[in-house]
Amino acid sequence: MKAFVPVRETNRTFLVGRLLLPAGAGLLFLLSACGQPERLAYDDEGRKRVEIWVHSGQVGERETIREQVEAFNEGQDAIRVTKTMIPEGDYNARVQAAALSGDLPDLLEFDGPFLYNYVWQGHLMPIDDLLSEEVRRDLLQSILEQGTYDGELYAVGVFDSGLGLYADRRGLEAVGARVPSGVDDAWSVEEFEAILAELFEASGGDPNLDLKVNYTGEWYCYAFSPILQSAGADLIDRETYATAEGVLNGPDAVRAMTHLQSWFQYGYVHPNIDDAAFVGREAVLSWSGHWDYDRYANALGEDLLVLPLPDFGEGSRTGQGSWTWGITRHAHHPEAAMRFLEFLLEPGEVLRMTEANGAVPARRAAIEQSGGFAEDGPLRLFVEQLETSAVPRPRTPAYPVITSVFESGFQDIRDGAEVKEVLDRMVRVIDQDIEDNRGYPRR
Amino acid sequence: MRTRSAFDWVSLAASHAVLLVCTAVFVLPIAFMVVASFKPDDLVLREAGSWRALFPTEMSFQNYFNVFDRVNFGRFFVNSVLITGSIVVGGLLVNSMAAYAFSRMRWRGRDFCFGLVLALLILPFEAIAVPLFYQMIEFGWRNSYRVQIVPFIANAFSIYLFYSFFLQIPKEMEEAAAMDGAGAWRTFFTLIIPLAKPAFATVAILTFLMHWGNYLWPLMVVDHETYRPLPVAIAEFQTLPPIQWGDIMAFGVMMILPVLAVFLIFQKGFVRGVASSGIKS
Amino acid sequence: MKRISRSGSFDGLFFAAPAILGLFLFVAVPFGIAIVLSFTNLRMGSPLETRFVGWEQYLRVLGDEAFRRALFNNAVFALVVVPVQTALALGLALLLNRQLRGRVIFRTLFFMPVVFPMALVAVVWKLLLAPGSEGLVNGLLESLTLGAWTPRDFLRDPWLALPSIMVMSIWQGVGFQMVIMLAGRQGVPEQLYEAASVEGAGPWRQFLHVTLPQMKNTIFFVVVVTTILAFRLFDQVDILTKGGPRLATTTVMYETVRTTFAEARVARAAAMTVIFFLIVVVLAFLQRKLLREEREVS
Repeated sequence: MKAFVPVRETNRTFLVGRLLLPAGAGLLFLLSACGQPERLAYDDEGRKRVEIWVHSGQVGERETIREQVEAFNEGQDAIRVTKTMIPEGDYNARVQAAALSGDLPDLLEFDGPFLYNYVWQGHLMPIDDLLSEEVRRDLLQSILEQGTYDGELYAVGVFDSGLGLYADRRGLEAVGARVPSGVDDAWSVEEFEAILAELFEASGGDPNLDLKVNYTGEWYCYAFSPILQSAGADLIDRETYATAEGVLNGPDAVRAMTHLQSWFQYGYVHPNIDDAAFVGREAVLSWSGHWDYDRYANALGEDLLVLPLPDFGEGSRTGQGSWTWGITRHAHHPEAAMRFLEFLLEPGEVLRMTEANGAVPARRAAIEQSGGFAEDGPLRLFVEQLETSAVPRPRTPAYPVITSVFESGFQDIRDGAEVKEVLDRMVRVIDQDIEDNRGYPRR
Repeated sequence: MRTRSAFDWVSLAASHAVLLVCTAVFVLPIAFMVVASFKPDDLVLREAGSWRALFPTEMSFQNYFNVFDRVNFGRFFVNSVLITGSIVVGGLLVNSMAAYAFSRMRWRGRDFCFGLVLALLILPFEAIAVPLFYQMIEFGWRNSYRVQIVPFIANAFSIYLFYSFFLQIPKEMEEAAAMDGAGAWRTFFTLIIPLAKPAFATVAILTFLMHWGNYLWPLMVVDHETYRPLPVAIAEFQTLPPIQWGDIMAFGVMMILPVLAVFLIFQKGFVRGVASSGIKS
Repeated sequence: MKRISRSGSFDGLFFAAPAILGLFLFVAVPFGIAIVLSFTNLRMGSPLETRFVGWEQYLRVLGDEAFRRALFNNAVFALVVVPVQTALALGLALLLNRQLRGRVIFRTLFFMPVVFPMALVAVVWKLLLAPGSEGLVNGLLESLTLGAWTPRDFLRDPWLALPSIMVMSIWQGVGFQMVIMLAGRQGVPEQLYEAASVEGAGPWRQFLHVTLPQMKNTIFFVVVVTTILAFRLFDQVDILTKGGPRLATTTVMYETVRTTFAEARVARAAAMTVIFFLIVVVLAFLQRKLLREEREVS
């Protein structure tokens, strides 16, 4: 239909000269200008630029870090810190993509257990020589352990976490439940379930247990792997870090996750779509972390109790580890990044942050000065747990897969899938990943 | 005759009844959003399940102030306008030129190239999102405006729409221009573009509708607020603690209001544009 | 026959170059990349060297329960949404084509959701579909059924989650198709109806013998567009259900993006991309073939 008609080749040189060359040059310019963006080492006024990434957490945390960056920038003239807030939901995915495209900031905040993967991939630099001895000696042991891999320190956090069961005293009294005084006399899971049943009855069939199922991401592995450990199971074999077989899908794990599933099936669990189930006093129990303490204390006042998680047989266990700071290999000025980090680690600044988010201060000097964590403070339990019942998440580069599998497995169990089948599938995915990465060989 | 008119009357009433029910279905979610945006936060959920959800039981602009307080709404809005605007303007130019070359000019490889464009017609962007994501990482384009603009400018469907329109323009007009010594460049810009205004309007509106709601792509390629467009921003805002549904609905209203205004003003254009996307095939 | 041949070979190429370059660079090249990557074991950020692994990724993807469920969900979505949405769009268009009072207003209202970004629609519907008595949909159903309806958690119910997503997708999209149908209906010559009327054909027979055959191409176009749309399903799933409950709402796009972005398994995602592409091609081919046969018949 559209027959090809030979083209007259007049005006060729004219065309090439007048149109094609400038157009081609323009295009090339456009493409080359679009190449790798160079991260600037200095700002307009010659100050060293330090870019930081921060997770966008609770209001108080976001405000505090903003104030801290401002205070630091105003307090000296040599360094200029600029921060970027990254949503928590897919934080790791963004770090991965940014690492590949060279977009990683100088100083990166990240969730502790991802450290081993980042180090394995080569994104972080050791900070042993940058961190002053004075600060290091004052840090909590759990913070140093979390930041160390292969004998080198890569990251330090400003706080460690506390995970527990917040309770509304009024609600518990209404059903005459016993109030545990510490980790040692935590509710057994049977006692816990009896209380849930009574609460359920007392409220006429409304859900009373807030498990923060409105959260996405790291929450699930952090908050619910302790029930595995409390039942005598775990996420992975911590001797070899080579398989999850028999550990994550053994009878203890099945038992623990079956308990969890039953809470959903009985209708105890509040959907919490506005994250206000507990402060609105619809839920009597809230399985949550330090970050909710402030909000809860404001809403409930004297009625707020902080309790240990239920005991699934081997004693109550809880999570530990939290957001931490590491310097990336792309950093222009590692020592400047460390200066900002040491600023964040000054006892006064640590307290400023932990007062905003209720976390356990990473420095002993700060713990002593804080009201909440002192001997009779309302948050004493979190310190006690870190010393006795807290279990760190597995120290392996396979952790990102473990947590992602755990999250989807949790959802399946929540939605009524056969527990053993779900756990078997989780094991298969984890083991496959370890095999695909040839056991994550160290360099 | 009598039965006939009674039938008409009944069917007319039935039509109106069906239309009114449909209207309720279409309007309800929007009305709900608008009403909730003016309510105090705790009231939004408490009243969401009853008829109260659709009535402003307590009104204030507090939620709107909250949005500006909590996130950089203005920035997200400007980003969306800038990105969509650039795609539309760039796309109009690039695709109309290509369509002109395919429909009116003779050059080596033309039919082959046009065949390729036709082959790409059915390929949705999603089919190449993943490798393009990887490619953009390699280019170092993540976290920028261009990563959200440049890949979408050239568009096979736009080329096709322009192409079918250009075919309808009588050749004589161009031949007259050629007699006057106008080159392809001048013919295109001074003759074709004014003639093809309806096609440009159609493509502009379709391109806008196609890209204004982009979510998947910016989700993958943008980490920084600086370049974040509205759809990703609202998805992230609805998980940003504390979760306040009143604020979220206010965000929604502000995000859609300007577009609705533009749509209502130019609705004839919108409808004509969308309609003509179908007729051509 | 005089052709416009003054504009030479280079003008044409120059006019077409930016678009061709764009399509090449941002459609053809990535697709080529996908094919190559799908035969490797590439993972973003892995310090281990990348190797060619043959068909391994394809075998794994096709053997993966989640991916197979995603294919199934996409198919179900298409099989339900395409006919329902097309029929609804046609019905509304025919209603609006009558000389009714306020038809412009109705048309505007029905079209309004089309300018809503899907992300916003999902966020609003998340609240509408809220579980328990907190959700408007639950509340509405309760009062319409005089209390017989027990509130459900729509988005976490394995039987209701995907239908919920279907409903909101239709809500958002049907106005677009309706407008196309309306234009198609207005393109049908009125004489045909008058002739049918004279022959004594009632409204139903007019619809069957005039409207449908005359609007065949329009309807066909709408079906094609909606089918491909059904396979692109992502935004609603990502915002509302993350593929759950128990894979009930996962889709090919959702699985692909999760594999790339959250799991960094680019090679595996590339294999998924190639499969996705093949599906689209097969669908387009089938539809084109059907259309051609139809055209030959008529």
